[in-house]
Amino acid sequence: MGTSRNPERRTILKAAGASAAALGLAATTGCGGESGSGNGAVTIRYSWWGAEERAKKINRTIALFEKKYPKIKVKTDFQTYQSFWEKFQTQAAGGNPPDVFQNAVAFLRKYDKRRILLDLKSQVQAGNLSLDHFRADVTKVGEVDGKQLGIPVGSNTMALVVDKKVFQKAGVEPHAGWTWDDYFKALKTVHDRTKVPGDTGYFTIMYLYDLYLRQNGKAFFAKDGLGFDQADLTEWWTDGYNRVKAGIVTDPKVVQQDMPKSSLSAGHGASEFTWDNFTVRYSAEGDSTYGLAPIPTTDGKHTGQYLASLMLSASARTSHPKEVTQFIDFMVHDPEVGKIMGYDRGILATTEQYAAYQPADAVSKEIAQYEEDTAKSGVLGTITPHPSGADTVEAAFLRLGGDLGQGKTKVTDAVKQFFTEAEAAFQA
Amino acid sequence: MGRAVTLVKDSAPAARKARPAARATEGRPGRRRENLAGYLFMSPWIAGFLLLTAGPMVASLYFAFTDYNLFTTPKWVGFDNFTKMFDDPRWQKSVEVTAKYVIIGTPLKLLLALGVALLLAQSRRGQAFYRAAFYAPSLIGASVSVGFVWRSLFSDGAVVDRTQTFLGFHVGGWVGSADWVLYCLVALTVWQFGAPMVIFLAGLKQVPKELYEAAEMDGAGPLRRFWNITLPMISPVLFFNVLLETIHSFQIFGSAYVVSNTYCGPADGTLVYTCYLYQQGFKNSQMGFASAMAWMLLLAVALVTAVLFWSQKKWVHYEEDAR
Repeated sequence: MGTSRNPERRTILKAAGASAAALGLAATTGCGGESGSGNGAVTIRYSWWGAEERAKKINRTIALFEKKYPKIKVKTDFQTYQSFWEKFQTQAAGGNPPDVFQNAVAFLRKYDKRRILLDLKSQVQAGNLSLDHFRADVTKVGEVDGKQLGIPVGSNTMALVVDKKVFQKAGVEPHAGWTWDDYFKALKTVHDRTKVPGDTGYFTIMYLYDLYLRQNGKAFFAKDGLGFDQADLTEWWTDGYNRVKAGIVTDPKVVQQDMPKSSLSAGHGASEFTWDNFTVRYSAEGDSTYGLAPIPTTDGKHTGQYLASLMLSASARTSHPKEVTQFIDFMVHDPEVGKIMGYDRGILATTEQYAAYQPADAVSKEIAQYEEDTAKSGVLGTITPHPSGADTVEAAFLRLGGDLGQGKTKVTDAVKQFFTEAEAAFQA
Repeated sequence: MGRAVTLVKDSAPAARKARPAARATEGRPGRRRENLAGYLFMSPWIAGFLLLTAGPMVASLYFAFTDYNLFTTPKWVGFDNFTKMFDDPRWQKSVEVTAKYVIIGTPLKLLLALGVALLLAQSRRGQAFYRAAFYAPSLIGASVSVGFVWRSLFSDGAVVDRTQTFLGFHVGGWVGSADWVLYCLVALTVWQFGAPMVIFLAGLKQVPKELYEAAEMDGAGPLRRFWNITLPMISPVLFFNVLLETIHSFQIFGSAYVVSNTYCGPADGTLVYTCYLYQQGFKNSQMGFASAMAWMLLLAVALVTAVLFWSQKKWVHYEEDAR
């Protein structure tokens, strides 16, 4: 048996060897890059987070871009917010991040520290990208230590969204310059008269606590850590917990179950703090009418608000920095792109696009009006820096806030745990 | 063919005994070529194993002793990650949640599987249909879509909530409750009792009919027959199922991830071990800590397996007669 030397077996052997070799070859070629084919065309990879609706719009804008730059092809990829950053981290760690991608302020320092982000200053000097015509100095959002790491596509600011019908029924009217006392009294009135909790969980929102701290001369983040102490947070969370108990703030248990819907649109709360451009979501999800209201203040004047923004960033590893920058330039300045995108990623950042898009629906009009009013009232400050790890800190803030709201942790324990986790996040 | 096999079987030990030193240099080119062919045919699997399983495992063992954020060079920290674990309240929570899930879910699932298998072992009309129907959840149970279905079944005001309220006790939706949400996952795993059930069925078929007939003659009732015949006879199958399901339960991830809307909450109510591992590694950039957690899980599962194997001497009955 073992000594037989029939040709059949040899053929099989050869075939096996050949296929193994072919597999090996395929594996090596499969890893090779694909950009830069014969005719000088270049392919760049672009990814973002967002819903299907955003993807449809972006694909239309890419078609415009490819028409204007026929030698640049754009390969796209999109996920939800969380999945996006999980995938991005893995890609970036593997040295293979997308050439250009959507970015936000919480991630600038994190990925700058890891040398993933391209400083676009040199590209601006080379004339591939213009920083002119941005509204209200919004390009500052993308600046870190003198480097331009992101280019805003739209601006947004924290706002209070209210269920107009419930507020009317309760006879409560929000007004500019109202204080936190006014606000919480209003929530109680809403709850007393309509049985609907007044707010969906203000004390778990990091960006709102930031505003509160800014009103009091502090901020959520300092340059490389937290800008407040344990006593501050203990007070903020204790009040929050007591308001859940009192029924004027939605039970976090209900909030949890309403997800991915908001408890405001589900009718389980009458107001919610969020980014102004998210308001579109409530009208799509819920049955009531929703409107924007001013942020409560400490001194009757300062809201602590600032303009934040979604940005486009480029990878420091891209082999086509010029093409990538041309892409960003087109996406932020081209009026047609502005018309297509609308306020999907915030109020359009450049004057060209802002002028080109005339919102037709009431919600978009109200958002634009809100930002205009906020800017005019002179309350806007500059954004505070977000240290590396800010994203993890935000998630911990939300989670621990929810835990203590459900009564699963004592406030003091939650505060301690939060500071421990924040410390680890800044160091990672 | 049969002869060749016998030949090899008989001669090999003899040869080994006779010339142990000569074996290495034994020149049988045909045999060697045959081996080579075997390895070549296995090469895709071997390559996959080395590249996708063994390699990463070795790497993770190294990372377990480092501070590693995926981007910078890992920094050796010795046993720091392991000592940190025991001080971390969320790690303790994840151990507690996983232990609860394994201890409650696995026995329930196996009891149900055995019970239904006993019912289905008898010949009845439409039996094939029932077997398929009970097995079906095992096929689809691990999918993400079922996780979503579960999420909506166990929400406030959904079927489960309303049924409970109708029956007179109000807990509200399980999904939003830190105390109840784990039972939602337990229900999901118990619902997938079909896989162990099929194995039990196969085991039940092996039990010789004569034993029952003899026992019946002696006047043994159904309970007695189950306890003294069925259970000992299927104990190897039971052992196999206990082992498989226990190990499987320790690794729960998908259902917790989906039912909790990726947060493993509320209030860490579904923070199973692998979920926390995932959060640390891929959300918080603590890959060193996550690797250490993975090895800790491996150790724990190995320990539980060892205890199970040790215990089988006491309760697993193997037929001794060597046929």
